[in-house]
Amino acid sequence: MHKFLIHKQGDHVGVAVADIQEGEHVVGVFMDDDFTIEITARGNVPLGHKIAIADVEAKGHVIEYGLPIGYAPEGFRVGDYVHTHNIKTLRW
Amino acid sequence: MSQLLGYRRENGKVGIRNHVIILPVDDISNAACEAVASHIPGTLALPHSYGRLQYGKDLDLHFRTMIGTGANPNVAAAVVIGIEPNWTKIVADGIAKTGKPVAAFSIEGQGDLETVRQASRKAMEFVQWASELQRVPIELHELTVSIKCGESDTTTGLGSCPTVAQVVDRLVDAGATVFFGETSELTGGEHLIADRCATPELRQKFMAMYDDYIAEIKNQGVDLLGSQPTQGNIAGGLSTIEEKALGNIEKTGTKPIIGVLDPAETPQNGPGLYFMDTSSAAAECITLMAAGGAVLHLFPTGQGNIIGNPIEPVIKLTANPKTAATMSEHIDVDVSGLLSREINLKAAGDMLMDYLCRVVNGRLTAAEALGHREFVMTKLYRSA
Repeated sequence: MHKFLIHKQGDHVGVAVADIQEGEHVVGVFMDDDFTIEITARGNVPLGHKIAIADVEAKGHVIEYGLPIGYAPEGFRVGDYVHTHNIKTLRW
Repeated sequence: MSQLLGYRRENGKVGIRNHVIILPVDDISNAACEAVASHIPGTLALPHSYGRLQYGKDLDLHFRTMIGTGANPNVAAAVVIGIEPNWTKIVADGIAKTGKPVAAFSIEGQGDLETVRQASRKAMEFVQWASELQRVPIELHELTVSIKCGESDTTTGLGSCPTVAQVVDRLVDAGATVFFGETSELTGGEHLIADRCATPELRQKFMAMYDDYIAEIKNQGVDLLGSQPTQGNIAGGLSTIEEKALGNIEKTGTKPIIGVLDPAETPQNGPGLYFMDTSSAAAECITLMAAGGAVLHLFPTGQGNIIGNPIEPVIKLTANPKTAATMSEHIDVDVSGLLSREINLKAAGDMLMDYLCRVVNGRLTAAEALGHREFVMTKLYRSA
């Protein structure tokens, strides 16, 4: 059973559809082609919050919906919890 | 699809509710309007906070919202009460252009009690008259539907907004009219909207409206995190305005944008999908859309916004299983099966479309049954 969904191939983050615990091995489904991905969570990710499925370097853009949703000042790694602590808007 | 039934008004427009409203032109006439509504069951007072010493574009918007609210096809008849006769007459005359019964009363020179006496008698006459109006067969293409989401989270972009998109595309294909808005909440995806504008002129008009709104926000020189996205958005997992906007835009479907409207403006380009320049705050936005003529609203929520509108039924849907469980009395359509992948988008669209038809035909939405009647005027700047 999947525990997160990813909007599109190429996105850096998926969205938890159930609470994910640190250390948990979890399956995600890409919504555009139904492919799956398996990763190990490096933090707790509550339902609706994001988990990294790609490494993003410091100051790199973060992609979701196939488009930038902000940048990661310090970067993050696959499995990290991604939210306001490690991603910032590019707009205001 | 079952036969739709609605109220055909004097000007041919179709409504799905049959309200007799008691409309204050200004804040100080609220008490008289509420007194009339308490005397005459079946009438609906619409108290609000403004209407005095406004000027310029702000006054234009005030009148447009007042007149549009009274002119909305969900309104059978209107009693208008203001402190002085001139502005009261402007609002009443504007509504009367639809051909529906309107009566105007001003308080100056006679006081609340005499005004309430006269207005109550008229309200009673209107409500008895309206009670005999019958629902008649109508077509889907005769509806004007508005969309706006709220207390969004990531489930909104994953599930409830794509569900609305299914219905928006079906409505537009059927020849109905749909409004979306939330200008600041397009930030990060404004180019997606601009690209869908049907003509270069519309694209230019849209981008000018968008740039104006964003300039106004930036002029305040503050960090918007916590306001846009809201604290609730952040609690629900949304991290930036761009992420919120891309989820928001999901609900607009795939059709071209054939008109770009000022707040509370009535569409002029025929049926199709329109952008309206609005705040992203739910009550302000839906009040403007109802004033533009929308008779039914689709409202995706993530964390559980509880909004309603006095004249326009608001259908709320969520894809968040926690919200569906903990705030079930506010949720009309639960599409959380999209997250577990137990249902697909088409099935979710069918569920929402079916519910829309039931609400058109008279089923009360959760917000209606709970008495949510948020009526909030948009004010552009301080009064003189």
